Amino acid sequence: MTLAIGAALAVFTGIGAGIGIGIATGKAAESIARQPEAADKIRGTFILGAALAEATAIYGFITALAIIILK
Amino acid sequence: MDKLKEVLAESMAGTPAVSVFGLFDVPESVAVTWILMALVTAASFILTRSLQRIPGGRQTLLELAIGAFNHFCEENLGRHWRSFAPWLFTVAVYIAAANLAGLIGLAPPTRDLTVTAALALMSMILIYGAQFRFRGFSGGFKKFAQPTPVLLPINLMEIFIRPLSLCMRLFGNVLAAYVIMEMIKTLAPAVIPIAFSLYFDIFDGLIQTLVFVFLTTLFLGESIEENE
Repeated sequence: MTLAIGAALAVFTGIGAGIGIGIATGKAAESIARQPEAADKIRGTFILGAALAEATAIYGFITALAIIILK
Repeated sequence: MDKLKEVLAESMAGTPAVSVFGLFDVPESVAVTWILMALVTAASFILTRSLQRIPGGRQTLLELAIGAFNHFCEENLGRHWRSFAPWLFTVAVYIAAANLAGLIGLAPPTRDLTVTAALALMSMILIYGAQFRFRGFSGGFKKFAQPTPVLLPINLMEIFIRPLSLCMRLFGNVLAAYVIMEMIKTLAPAVIPIAFSLYFDIFDGLIQTLVFVFLTTLFLGESIEENE
């Protein structure tokens, strides 16, 4: 039971990643609307930021797996 | 639920062995990689056979894809892009094929931690090898103290953090997609998994390919960029 609670807590990192990617997407859309000619550069920066933000969720997921499996 | 737990334990500890003609055992990810290698080799052979000066439909598509990728490399890597583009495209093709292997009923090799670790290690060797190759021995070391010497410890830490995060990101994404798909299949075995499979197998697989290659290119471009 406590193991399951620990794993669930680890998966809460997903909240941060979700908020982070949401903000990044919103800002990227905003800046592309403002400067459509810079779309390529903005896309590159956005993918990098989203990938880094998403990594936290993945670390949480792997931690949760490790808690359940490795005990 | 017990089956799920078994699958999870397997993918953390390496995939189960497959026997080759009863002679020796190889991990499942290696066997699937062999199948993918055969498919990709056959596809490359068919696509590049009898190339014409005035391209037909098949060749036009091929040239578009290669041209777009070369343009992307040129933009991010600068003057030396030509020596890196073939390697980066090969990795992209392999990861895309591996992530899509689930569609034809094979276990994706990228679900195995050792496969993604090997890919990330190759990226690391490429990034720091290129740094010393194009900056010279002392220039390569000086890069670690740029833009300011204060960042030296962080730059040194990044040598290990970058491959670790590349490896864990690819592995975690593919495994997470697999786990969620298994849960959906247990809850609703018919029809409904198709829609989710489109997202988790195709879209997520291709996005992760893009992210892996894009990050490698970005790090590579950063380590060989020139300050004119």
